Amino acid sequence: MDFISQNLLTILILFPVFGAVATLAHQMFWKQESQLKWVTLGFTIVNFLLSLILVAGRGAQSANGFLYESNTPWIKAINTNFHFGVDGLSLWLVVLTTFIMPISILSTWHAVEKRPTAFYVFLLLLESAMIGVFVSLDLLVFYLFFEASLIPMFFLIGIWGGDNRIYAAVKFFIFTMLGSLLMLVAIISLYYLHLDQTGVGTFDYVTILHSLEVGKLVFAGSTGTLLFLAFALAFAIKVPLFPFHTWLPDAHTEAPTAGSVILAAVLLKMGTYGLMRFNFPLFPDASREWAFVFIILGIIGIIYGALVAMVQPDVKRLVAYSSVAHMGFVIIGMFSFTEWGMQGALYQMLNHGISTGALFLLVGFIYERRHTRQISEFGGLANVMPIYATIFVITAMSSVGLPFLNGFVGEFLIMIGMWKSAILPVSATANWNYISTMLAGTGVIFAAVYLLWMIQRVFFGKVTNEKNRTLSDLSWREIGLIAPLLALMVYMGVYPRPFLDTSEASVKAVQERVMHQAGGTVAKNGPSEK
Amino acid sequence: MVENNLLSLIIFAPLAGAVINWLVGGYLKDKPYSEPFSGLVACGTIAISTIVAFMIAFGIGTSHQGALFGTEPVLDHIWTWVNVGGFRADFALGVDRLSGIYVCFVTFVGLLIHIFATGYMHGDKGFYRFFAYLNLFMFSMLTLILADNFLLMFVGWEGVGLCSYLLIGYYIKKDEARRAAKKAFVMNRIGDWGVLMGIFLVFTMTGSISFYDKAVDGAQVSSALAAFANMPTDAFGWGTIFAGGITSVAVLLFIGATGKSAQIPLFTWLPDAMAGPTPVSALIHAATMVTAGVYMVVRCNAIYQNAPTAMFIVAIIGCATAIFAATIGLAQNDIKKVLAYSTVSQLGYMFLACGVGAFVAAIFHVMTHAFFKALLFLGSGSVIHGMHHEQDMRKMGNLRKYMPITFITMMMGWLAICGIPIWAGFFSKDEILYRTFASRNIPEPWNYVLWIVGLITAVLTAVYMTRMMWMTFFGSERFHLELEHDHRSEPPAVAGGLSSSFDDESHEAHVQPPATADGSDLDDDDEEEHHALPPNFHPHESPWTMTVPLIVLAVLSTIGGLSGIPYAMSSLFGAGDVNIIEHTLDPVIAKVGKKEGGHETPSVKPHAEPASKPHAAIADPNLNDLYASTEAPHLAGETAVHEEHSAEELSTERLLAVLSVLLALSGIAIGIAVFGKNPLLKMPKILEEKWRIDEFYNGYIVDPITNLSREGLWKGFDLGFIDGIVNGIGYFIVEAGRALRGIQVGFVRSYAAIILLGALAVLGYFIYYGLKLVG
Repeated sequence: MDFISQNLLTILILFPVFGAVATLAHQMFWKQESQLKWVTLGFTIVNFLLSLILVAGRGAQSANGFLYESNTPWIKAINTNFHFGVDGLSLWLVVLTTFIMPISILSTWHAVEKRPTAFYVFLLLLESAMIGVFVSLDLLVFYLFFEASLIPMFFLIGIWGGDNRIYAAVKFFIFTMLGSLLMLVAIISLYYLHLDQTGVGTFDYVTILHSLEVGKLVFAGSTGTLLFLAFALAFAIKVPLFPFHTWLPDAHTEAPTAGSVILAAVLLKMGTYGLMRFNFPLFPDASREWAFVFIILGIIGIIYGALVAMVQPDVKRLVAYSSVAHMGFVIIGMFSFTEWGMQGALYQMLNHGISTGALFLLVGFIYERRHTRQISEFGGLANVMPIYATIFVITAMSSVGLPFLNGFVGEFLIMIGMWKSAILPVSATANWNYISTMLAGTGVIFAAVYLLWMIQRVFFGKVTNEKNRTLSDLSWREIGLIAPLLALMVYMGVYPRPFLDTSEASVKAVQERVMHQAGGTVAKNGPSEK
Repeated sequence: MVENNLLSLIIFAPLAGAVINWLVGGYLKDKPYSEPFSGLVACGTIAISTIVAFMIAFGIGTSHQGALFGTEPVLDHIWTWVNVGGFRADFALGVDRLSGIYVCFVTFVGLLIHIFATGYMHGDKGFYRFFAYLNLFMFSMLTLILADNFLLMFVGWEGVGLCSYLLIGYYIKKDEARRAAKKAFVMNRIGDWGVLMGIFLVFTMTGSISFYDKAVDGAQVSSALAAFANMPTDAFGWGTIFAGGITSVAVLLFIGATGKSAQIPLFTWLPDAMAGPTPVSALIHAATMVTAGVYMVVRCNAIYQNAPTAMFIVAIIGCATAIFAATIGLAQNDIKKVLAYSTVSQLGYMFLACGVGAFVAAIFHVMTHAFFKALLFLGSGSVIHGMHHEQDMRKMGNLRKYMPITFITMMMGWLAICGIPIWAGFFSKDEILYRTFASRNIPEPWNYVLWIVGLITAVLTAVYMTRMMWMTFFGSERFHLELEHDHRSEPPAVAGGLSSSFDDESHEAHVQPPATADGSDLDDDDEEEHHALPPNFHPHESPWTMTVPLIVLAVLSTIGGLSGIPYAMSSLFGAGDVNIIEHTLDPVIAKVGKKEGGHETPSVKPHAEPASKPHAAIADPNLNDLYASTEAPHLAGETAVHEEHSAEELSTERLLAVLSVLLALSGIAIGIAVFGKNPLLKMPKILEEKWRIDEFYNGYIVDPITNLSREGLWKGFDLGFIDGIVNGIGYFIVEAGRALRGIQVGFVRSYAAIILLGALAVLGYFIYYGLKLVG
């Protein structure tokens, strides 16, 4: 037991790799492709159960404020280590990753005919990389995992995707690669800056942060801003922030269901997580300076994503554009630099993972039956598939942000955070924080428009297309894999405190780091403020 | 702090009912006893709520004073929902005098409508589903009323919106229904935006979103409303709306109220919402949900009283909506549409009352309106049931012969809404008109303008209601009348409103076939569809489950107004001051300065504290009995208020009452004179087309946004511009690669390879840089 708890994060990363090896071995020796999914499912479920130890063990922190911290030397020459650890920012994201994996694998039960071995191996490697991203505290290791997650997804889209899969896969690859290369440059610069100023080169996040805090490492001139932008570009593309979003609808639409679910639920979160983990604490001054740009782009994303989602003829594209809108909320929440906004943003990351993940699953169900996702092909489905329709409506309501479902808590906290923010200018005639919130708030209206309009056309009315008359309602497997998501939607909407309380300390630390650096020019918010 | 954990039972009983009906009822749906089961569960749970509500409101069998008599709200903390950085939202309930009145009539009217619905929905295949939604609605509505903070109220606020969506769209196969459902939700959402922003501003200004002072988990939570009551009053002027002060809060919240309570400009969803089953129209779209906006404004009266500009806006919007909807109501042929516009119009009166500072009168009208409008809607449901789902009044006539109970009960509702003395509507409406006339917070001469418009609306109300009654119950039988064009075959654009242009490119361009073709549909027809009436058709009276609620509501519509007889009238009969409503609600109305209209005692006491000014006048002994349980100074404070009636004011009030009765009678006379002989009189086309507001919204708001999104943003910007740049760069690199092909033979022409090359270049650069450093 001690071994597990001391190396839990390493185990979480490596276990899926063992799973991939096991899958390959199983294929080599038994040649029973139909059993592969069971092997994969088994590994992901065990990994999920292991990750629950994280939840049970939250509370006992290391000196650096991290849980389950471990530090294994890797390349001594450049002083890079496998430094892992979770805190309030990453804990639930790791659990979200391990939680969404078995569900995505269950969703592929009958969908993968082409080369299943490779498919499952890629899924498992992807899991490994994603967990690595969330727990790495070494910048170089983080970068490697960040890039490594690209490759399985590239193949998942490129091989098992829809008709236009090559275009989508390449576009996805180019966009994300472009940003992350700049981030690599920034990471290496940090190494040398640290080397120059302190005599020790390091990629270690905790060390660099500490050097910054005590003033051993100082960014002269525009260095901080340039580094901030290099990191931010990589993350902004991943989020994706308007106007870097156009890879997303293509990637989502062409990806197989499992790919879309993972993309929406976890991969996009890497961007927002990276901003919160690295950009804010490392470059607080630049973060504040550039916040207005991100807030503006976030607001544009909210409105733009919603308007474009409204006119999509394809259900999956519609959901993809809705992601742009939702992630816009996360961005403005984070850049409000208030406890409410940042807590809300973190919570909304989980919510978006669950709700949008569920929407992609649901779209996948109907695609397996009809092999089309065009809204105009459907109509009156509620008559034929009542259970499906019910679940879809609940999920959509969660995405719309109906109170007592998860989306509301996150959106509300984000908006109140933006409203009370001190990051945008306040003049005698206009408080731009208020105005930003009001504009972002219109996203709440548009969300209802595009989702309900789609529901109206797909589910209500009479069955107009003969092909839909004989569709079967959801199977027990399908209900079973969507049910945990539904349960979470309600639980997280009604009782969000376990999640919010866990992240409170970490979020406060980041928020204070960003706002304290202001040298008193920007008031710090909190209960004391009146 | 008074606590009573029974409170949560009021909301959780209907929630349990909804869950049981959904799961168990759904499981039993093909069994013969499924209908009694679902009906019993639904009505039983509401009955529990009703009993508990009355117990707590009147203090029957509770350890504390009834919430209607006490000075403190009865609270029940359930759990802390959100608590982040000083922002605290509890899942906690509270009943004070305002929510006490509300919770009583909502549960009681709700119970009657549930019973009615068991009869009305008999034989419907979705019986269990219907009652699950209806119970869920009651849960949301009661949460809205009982919430002890803004955010939980907003939960109920959104919840009723969702249930309204589900219930309007209950007949999912009807095109009209699903469009109306979405339209209702979206329009409500526009309003919700205002409420959300209002809540943010409330929190910013006061640091709290709680309605009451209370202690939770050892922490003291202070009331946001009390804080507002103590703030200085905003100046009167348009600039204050955008100043981010009290007026801004009031206006933002009012935006929400216009959505939920169907006021200009967000009213168009309510008439369309009539596509839902009739009990739903009665419960949600007449008696309860649509008055939520009024509830919120009265709940926040401390805010509004400090925001004179907002009060003025509320009054203007309310008054304009009242007359606007009344003109449309004149020309509708669908019996439910007439009632729908009448509801919009009556809601306008309520906001007019709020705007002129007569918050008590607004709530009084909410209550009497709940009685008589629920009665009229259920009556129309009974008519529609008896007419085999025919709703067009042009095909009715002389129904009093076949449906005597429905006829007599509806007559009571008609007298009530027209404002004939002793019937409920008279007292509440007359109070509003008088208070408008005598208002002190509306700049002159606007109070007279509002008053005159209110009077004209009263005449119009009498005319269109008389028209409806005469077309339905009098005259000749027109059951087989052939109309030139059946109203069902109207193009969907008219019925669909907001959604028309959305649907242009979708598959449902097919127009709903005329009524007679409905039967040919291949689906099981489990829905309310009107089939052509057989030649030997005779309407029939409805079963007891439907007539009993009608009778109860008729009685309430007749005598319910007696609870709020103004002093000006009761004193005529030597009865002293017997205005129970006024006395109950007065402590809820914050005392902020002297500008309170009418006859309030000036006092700076904060929210929910009665003005405790000692005084000598001895009130009527009956009143003393009634308030025996309240403390003496408290009682004194309440009655003190009325000593300020000057003889002049009393006579004005009496005179105006006589005038409004005369006008109501003349309205009825006009109605009978015009429509008695010629019930099918053609009305002006512009009224029949509802002033073409839907077309305006579609043409100038919805369509441009949709087209901009599709052609401009998506195809133009996204696919054209951004992807154009990206693809352009890709193309450029590919071309460059081609140019370089001479050197590098076998270059794979793909993006991925180029990226690889780029990555290698970067890597090479760093290796070079690194080597240089090492060397």
